[in-house]
Amino acid sequence: MTMVRVVRLGLVLGFAALVPSLFVLLAGQNPWRVLTTLLLYALGPQGWSEVLVHAIPLTLIGLGVAFALRAGLFNIGGDGQLIAGAVLSVFFAPYFAGWGIAGLVAFLVFGFAGGAALGAFVGYLRERFNASEIIVTIMLNYVAVQLVSYLIRGPMEDPVRFFPRSYAIPPDAVLPVIVQGTRLHAGLIVALIMVVLFAVVQRQTVLGFQSSVVGANPGAATYAGFRVKALTIIVMAISGGLAGLAGAVEVGGIYQRIEDNMGEGFGLAGIAVALIARLEAAAIPFAACLFGIFFAGAGALQRELALPFPLVWVVEATVIFAVSALHWAMPIRKADA
Amino acid sequence: MDPLLVTGILAAGIRLGMAIGLASIGESASERAGVFNIGIEGIMLSAAFVAAWGSVRTGSPWLGIAFAMLLGLILAGFHALMVLVLGVNQFISGIGMVIFGYGFSSFAARLTIGAKPTSIPGLPPIDLGPLSHIPVVGPILFGQSPLAYIALVLAIATGWVINRTALGLEIRACGESAEVARTLAIPVKARQTACILFGGITAGLGGAYLSVVQVHAFVDGMVAGRGFLAVACVMLGRTRPLVAFFASLGFGLAEATQIRLQTLYPGLPYQFLVILPYLAAIVALVIGHRRSERLA
Repeated sequence: MTMVRVVRLGLVLGFAALVPSLFVLLAGQNPWRVLTTLLLYALGPQGWSEVLVHAIPLTLIGLGVAFALRAGLFNIGGDGQLIAGAVLSVFFAPYFAGWGIAGLVAFLVFGFAGGAALGAFVGYLRERFNASEIIVTIMLNYVAVQLVSYLIRGPMEDPVRFFPRSYAIPPDAVLPVIVQGTRLHAGLIVALIMVVLFAVVQRQTVLGFQSSVVGANPGAATYAGFRVKALTIIVMAISGGLAGLAGAVEVGGIYQRIEDNMGEGFGLAGIAVALIARLEAAAIPFAACLFGIFFAGAGALQRELALPFPLVWVVEATVIFAVSALHWAMPIRKADA
Repeated sequence: MDPLLVTGILAAGIRLGMAIGLASIGESASERAGVFNIGIEGIMLSAAFVAAWGSVRTGSPWLGIAFAMLLGLILAGFHALMVLVLGVNQFISGIGMVIFGYGFSSFAARLTIGAKPTSIPGLPPIDLGPLSHIPVVGPILFGQSPLAYIALVLAIATGWVINRTALGLEIRACGESAEVARTLAIPVKARQTACILFGGITAGLGGAYLSVVQVHAFVDGMVAGRGFLAVACVMLGRTRPLVAFFASLGFGLAEATQIRLQTLYPGLPYQFLVILPYLAAIVALVIGHRRSERLA
């Protein structure tokens, strides 16, 4: 029994090491050198803050994905919800000029609301019309990318028409840099607050309990008299809201306006983050940091070793496959569960 | 309306919907056997690249298409391994495949044929002489790519196998209730594996169609949701391959219409038109609503 586990674990870990190495070798590079370059950059004087900068939105989106997945719902719409949050918050941002800290809070709340509205819409379609939330969220991603492309060239355009981008948000809505000389901003605090909130909601509230039951056994949840339909909509709203918050945080902390391709691919990465963390709140920031290393480091690899950036996606897919195969390698015995 | 315009849109619609249609054929079989593969988006992307690369390297688009089918088979085999042997959630494995497709296709393209679209030896439409030149009907029915006719035959044949043969009955049994099928001594996993592999091959064909037939180039992310649209079509067709196939052509028609509208109404922001097929998918899912158990 133990032997089988060791062999299986070896297979999974071997797979996880082999696939990215193979791609690196195909690119004519040495996998070991790539790994050391990656880690030296990520833990180095410039890299560590960039890792955290990437981990902030990934934590928020990862929390959202995990919240939905605990209820058995697949939210693949992180990209679209991030855009919805960014658009709504930036749309109202000019009104918050001069509000000080209240303006910042309002800015973030509108970000959450933007994503939540989109998420709730998906939840509603799922419950009312049985429309697959997987397909609907993905379709909305494509819709959102096009609409934001229109908005930043039209109604929300930068008055100085140089790049296709939106107008800038007022200084009140800007998340301040918390470590001088880096891009690391107060979004880190926002993300950590959300981690704590997530854990509290999940463990201490009726909503957290009921949504977990719906995910584990929808039939039992219905039988127990839970309002499964309303619950689905609420869960999707919170899940989307967290991605929307990530959008506002990205704008407030980094861009100070909306740009094309902002936060592109974070939605899918958030799924990987949630899965690696096994949907546990406390583990999500660490999983996000792991992907922060990949994202921030991939730029360095492209600059220093001419390794194409899409290697990140290959690594991400490999990690998803390996992590989801872990329970095959190490089945949890009934007594442990 | 101008008949030439309608002819043009119909012919283009069939051309633009074919990649989705090809992928939907195998996905129908796969879902009928009870296994979703939302990863066909990733398989199509990988296949689109490999087909383009194969055509450039060998100079033969047909060889490129063969490479794409082979890669589709391998990737689908991996999905089958994850889901049926390792017991991984089929949606999670599918998402992994989507991400892999993005990574593999753009990474490999940058290393080989270049990130910028380069023209590749493509597959021209067939020319049936006078037949192809009949007004209206000619370009629509007799001026498509050879793959389009293969696709139609494949859709009909797949529907026939699933609904009219003993093998099809076994496949449907696996999808309805794997446990009952098992008690009837049906080799459930073998049937499901076969259907998933078939789905990989048609997704590979769909991806190859995009790069080798439709665009004559590989472009980063060129599948642009068509794999997911194929899954949506299968849901709409309630896993009947021919219905899913024609639903796919419907999306092609939406695409052709929006492209034509872009030129007809240059004042309208093009983004509002580009989103039409995606919105159509959501609307179609809502209208085609039906009772079925939770997906996950």
